[in-house]
Amino acid sequence: MPALISLREVKKIYQVGAEAVYALNGIDVEIRAGEYISVMGPSGSGKSTLMNIIGCLDTPTEGTYEFGGEAVHEMDDNQLASIRNRKIGFVFQTFNLLPKLTALRNVELPLIYANVPRSERLERARTALEQVGLGDRISHKPNELSGGQRQRVAIARALVTHPSIILADEPTGNLDSKSGVEIMRILDDLHRQGNTIILVSHEADIAAHAQRTIHLLDGKIEREVVHPVRA
Amino acid sequence: MLSLLWETVRIAFQGILDNKSRAFLTMLGIVIGVLAVTLMGTLISGLDRSFERSMAFLGKDVLFISKYEWFSDRDWWEMANRPEMRAEYAEQLKAYSDVVVAATPIMSRGVDVKRNDNSVLGVRLRGTTPEYLQTSFMNVGHGRFFTEGENHSGSRVAVIGHDIAEGLFPNENPLGKKFRIEGIPFRVIGTIDKQGKFLGLFSMDNQIIIPFGSFTRLFARRGFMEIDVKVAGNVAEARDEVRGVMRRIRGLRPLEEDNFAINQQEAFESQYRSIKLAIGGTGVFITVLSLVVGGIGIMNIMFVSVKERTREIGVRKAIGATQPLILGQFLLEAVFICLLAGLIGLGLAYGGSRLIDKFVFPSTMPLWLGALSVFLSVGVGILSGIAPSFTAARQNPIEALRYE
Repeated sequence: MPALISLREVKKIYQVGAEAVYALNGIDVEIRAGEYISVMGPSGSGKSTLMNIIGCLDTPTEGTYEFGGEAVHEMDDNQLASIRNRKIGFVFQTFNLLPKLTALRNVELPLIYANVPRSERLERARTALEQVGLGDRISHKPNELSGGQRQRVAIARALVTHPSIILADEPTGNLDSKSGVEIMRILDDLHRQGNTIILVSHEADIAAHAQRTIHLLDGKIEREVVHPVRA
Repeated sequence: MLSLLWETVRIAFQGILDNKSRAFLTMLGIVIGVLAVTLMGTLISGLDRSFERSMAFLGKDVLFISKYEWFSDRDWWEMANRPEMRAEYAEQLKAYSDVVVAATPIMSRGVDVKRNDNSVLGVRLRGTTPEYLQTSFMNVGHGRFFTEGENHSGSRVAVIGHDIAEGLFPNENPLGKKFRIEGIPFRVIGTIDKQGKFLGLFSMDNQIIIPFGSFTRLFARRGFMEIDVKVAGNVAEARDEVRGVMRRIRGLRPLEEDNFAINQQEAFESQYRSIKLAIGGTGVFITVLSLVVGGIGIMNIMFVSVKERTREIGVRKAIGATQPLILGQFLLEAVFICLLAGLIGLGLAYGGSRLIDKFVFPSTMPLWLGALSVFLSVGVGILSGIAPSFTAARQNPIEALRYE
């Protein structure tokens, strides 16, 4: 099966004064549809940069990035926005919900940008919220929800477009351990249902939920660990 | 695409609702601007209307000859030292010129009038001839004007204005009744229909007209006199001819200056045009000023709003909002604020114009001006929103998401 995501010789170079800083220094990664991958590494290892590039929020300075056959490294801002909308569901550490909107409206948001008709939007947003167990909280605003519930709304928002991958950046970082467990269980369920999940974490036991863990150090892949139980 | 536009509208509107008081304060400049331009327009429309009505008292084809020019740079004392008009000029003007259709001398003074217990003070008493009917635009509604015979014999008959009739003869028909002008008894032979005020200043209903002969005999042999001349044909040419005749009557040599003035309605019109220009100019100045200040205020607020919502912009971009959509969202928000402000201004102006209509003078708010002001508001919204909106649209999503 061809890889869904394919990064070759990806470098991200930042110019700091006269010095070139290699945030990523030649990364080769292939991810197939349906995989459950985690990315680990200490801060400064290039984790976030890799995450941003995979999430099409940023483009590599050098190298190629193909997503489902599309050359992401050649895209402009608006094309990136479009591929993010169609193919990627983000789950952030800080939830990043819009505080003034209800859970339903938050989840509906990506579908607005996907130009989905209103009635279908609301239907799909409701379904997504039910999927994460928040069917009874759809008209609550984020500040009326607990941290775990907020993150579930965020997951619903990521799911609602039926994306090719779900990109979770430290999804349990701001949660107590009980909520964290709950969120990981949802992500594991989503994987079982066939979703491709990429998880970024610095906690080994969170990263261990994945089938395969990529360890980054100084902008390079240090090693890859396959978790036999899950694979 | 339409649904996306509608959603953008909703998002923008939500943005305003979330910051009601701030949006309101921001709107003030625009509100004032719209208010200024529309009220100014209403005022001018009202002035136009009352001016036109006042001008109807004068008549385009009537020349008013006297010592004084109505609007002039000449010193007042210079004109005051000119020789007085004489009643015989009227006959002479008619005799010497074909274009003069009617000519009548008019003398006037302020008097008090009385009947039994009723009195009216500060009445304008005019002494003139029956030809006054042709040079003026009043209508003797009841009774009649005096005749040539009554004029010659100096009869004590009077045609009275509407206010006098009401003041001296409440609840009765004044025709044939006697009253006293400065103690001298006169008989009412006609009443003039209500005319209103001239330029909103002098009441035309507060006058009494008596025969010229009676006026000179009873009140003043000499004094300020005006000669009203109705002319035929082209008014400008007729005016030149009348001027020539007047110079001949006065025996002026070719190089001597005129020692009389020929006034006409036109003088009021040019004077009025400059007043109108001043009012309009002031209105436009206030409008432009407040729109500029309002626009800068809105730009400022929009920059603050973009800064505050950096994170929101990041989230929206991450989940797929393109640059044009973010641009549209903030631009529409600015336009909405301005549009709302424009409509509020328009509403207030409409109320204001109704008040002016009711209490100051009849006027209406010109519709095109209302439309223009709303249009202007939208323009200000776009102009002041464009820079902040571009800032928002160009945000880097990674940095925006990281923004605290």
